[in-house]
Amino acid sequence: MWKRMGLQLIIALLLLTWGGFASAQVLNVAIPQDPDSFDPTRTVAAATSEVAFNIYEGLVKATPEGGVAPALASHWTVDQGGTLYTFYLREAYFHDGSPVTVEDVVHSLNRARDPELAVRAGELAVIKEITALENAVQIELHEPHGAFLYLLTEVYASIYPKGAGDLSRKPIGTGPYYLADWGPNQRLELRRFEHHWSGQRPYFAQVNFLIMPDENSMVLNLKAGRIQLIPRLEVSVLHQVENSPGIKVLASPMNLVQLFAINNARPPFDDLRVRRALALGLNREEILLGAAWGNGFLLDSALSPAMAGFYHDGLGEINPYDPQRAKELLREAGQENLRFTLTLPANYPFHVQAGEIAAQQWQALGLEVDLEIVEWGTWLERVYTQRDYDVSIIGLAGRLDPHAILVRYTTDSSRNFFNFSNARYDELIELGLRAEGEERRAIYLEAQEILARELPGIFIMDPQQLAAMREEVQGWRSYPVYVVDLASLYQ
Amino acid sequence: MKRYLWRRAGGFLLTALLVNFATFFILQVLPGDPALLMLGTEGSPEAYAALRRELSLDKPVLPRYGQWLLRFIGGQWGNSWRYSLPVRELVSRAFPLSLGLALLAVGAAAGAALPVGLYMALRPRSFGSRLLSLGTQLGLGLPQFWVGILLIQLFAVQLRLLPPGGAEGWVSFLLPTLTLALPRMAVLSRFLRAGMLEALAEDYVRTARAKGLPQGSVLFKHALRNAALGPLTAAGVQFAQLLAGTIVVEQVFGLPGVGQLLLNGVFQRDLPLVQAVVTLVVLLILLFDLAFDLCLGLLDPRIRYE
Repeated sequence: MWKRMGLQLIIALLLLTWGGFASAQVLNVAIPQDPDSFDPTRTVAAATSEVAFNIYEGLVKATPEGGVAPALASHWTVDQGGTLYTFYLREAYFHDGSPVTVEDVVHSLNRARDPELAVRAGELAVIKEITALENAVQIELHEPHGAFLYLLTEVYASIYPKGAGDLSRKPIGTGPYYLADWGPNQRLELRRFEHHWSGQRPYFAQVNFLIMPDENSMVLNLKAGRIQLIPRLEVSVLHQVENSPGIKVLASPMNLVQLFAINNARPPFDDLRVRRALALGLNREEILLGAAWGNGFLLDSALSPAMAGFYHDGLGEINPYDPQRAKELLREAGQENLRFTLTLPANYPFHVQAGEIAAQQWQALGLEVDLEIVEWGTWLERVYTQRDYDVSIIGLAGRLDPHAILVRYTTDSSRNFFNFSNARYDELIELGLRAEGEERRAIYLEAQEILARELPGIFIMDPQQLAAMREEVQGWRSYPVYVVDLASLYQ
Repeated sequence: MKRYLWRRAGGFLLTALLVNFATFFILQVLPGDPALLMLGTEGSPEAYAALRRELSLDKPVLPRYGQWLLRFIGGQWGNSWRYSLPVRELVSRAFPLSLGLALLAVGAAAGAALPVGLYMALRPRSFGSRLLSLGTQLGLGLPQFWVGILLIQLFAVQLRLLPPGGAEGWVSFLLPTLTLALPRMAVLSRFLRAGMLEALAEDYVRTARAKGLPQGSVLFKHALRNAALGPLTAAGVQFAQLLAGTIVVEQVFGLPGVGQLLLNGVFQRDLPLVQAVVTLVVLLILLFDLAFDLCLGLLDPRIRYE
């Protein structure tokens, strides 16, 4: 008798404690790791921009279509020369209740471009001066910059109060949510901001980002109902949720360019025939199936099709799978017995798998490929910074504007770890900043064609972003940048 | 006894300092630059140089170590580079959790191992013993990662009885404790079984029985006390290991423990964080070791401290 009562008591207690998770208007989202810092001058991690998108706003913000929409600036004008922007502020409030003033905007943007303070100040180096007007802010550029508005959508261009203290853990922004609590390696608790300038209230009053490093547990937590949303599901666990009752998966292009980077400065890879042979010897269909289970889009360009306005879709014929021709090219170059090292970043199983498949295909051409799997820190130092490698693989995150992506392949770019150099290409990227409309588009199409023909690397695919969520979660919007838009979600 | 304690304390400091020094230098020679890791694939050379200056990475190693050590002893543990939070705060959140989990896991393992081990020793040829023996072998062999996932699948997804992860309320610790306790219980019960079998064959047990002591008294007062030394030492080692966190179980259950902190710290070459965590773990283990040795003396009066 007592025994049974005890058991019932325990079960009742369990249910009581456990039932607390499923309350309405609270959304639980799984992310694999903590943000680095919420100080806009310091943050570089994608994990931060994903969350910060809901907390901070700039003068303008990104749209799901890849465009730019007004945010703290209700509208703006650009002068004839394209160097003088005037942003007119709307009435808005920070999370601490203070109104947004022109001084706050000038202060935030001046800090963002100060190389002593901001780690990504270089991206705003085009700004010459920022002046406060009565209810507007004037930004003068050194020269016209076609992508300037896109730069202002980045986290580093967020607006915060002039008198704010350390923002790294206590961000103060104007976004639809504010950060209420942050337990490292555990969870971030966001609460709805009731005084957002838009006058709209998001459906969920509270959103918790739970830190879950293991993708299998993520899936189990979704099935058990402890979480309702996984914004970025690992493709390797997709099969575990695909036919689960009560769960749906929405796929969209990730705007990530996965590619084999080739060290163009290191013989024999300085010979275009060798680079081409590597490209022609690749059966990327097989990589798409083997590494991404078919969830991706094969790429022939340095841009993803998510960049709809600029993507060159006519490059497919340049490097078709043709192992015969690849062997001929190697013979011509005198490199039939080429032996090289393929360096793979261990922290990205997806890239490692793709690399292993490619290595087999290259071996089938008679080449000898040494696989070298390195830790991320080593990869950044050796491959990315010292450029000490033969061939490697990586995914380069997309941005809203083609310039930000394509400038990486110019001769003098510090991010050009391909050691790629092409005079016409450099010229085009320069021109692209000054051009507009159709002319600008034509410039970027030509630039993409040069990359496809000259092969700084071999473009593989844009994998799909898989957002897995409970059936009842509605309103998911995918973006071509690394964000989760909480304000649009409801159930 | 006093001399013994002094000697141990001296050894303590020396060990802690050595480990600490070694960690610092290993992190220096490992490839992977903290400033680079913080900037990722979007950094510029200017930002890189500025960040190195800010983290004092441009200074020589030895003076940096000296400076760090002085500050650490003075209680200034600095900010973590990875989390941009004070190291003290990170550590004071993670250690209680790992400590609690270690206590729970080893406690549960020992608690369950006692009846199991005794049963296997007293009825070595019974069907139940064979089954238990098979069970303990399984417990030893199964990977914890897999056991954890299976337990979540069963208790959280199918039965919906327990939360699938997190550190929210005491119920969320049941599954991680079970996952950690299973293999440890297997070890302890096998130790206890071996110890009991040996003790039961000793002369003093026969004498005790011959002079007509009741079975309970023979078992618990005489045999178990001698047989317990082995399993207890093993439990002590298990506990010390768990103090350093359990990366696998913390990952599977999403627990913010020491293992997670250390793992992320090492991946990011987060010197202030890794140094503090490693030093604390070493001190804790040494302290526990000392306390444990003293306790063994209570159990076995033959142990002398000199």
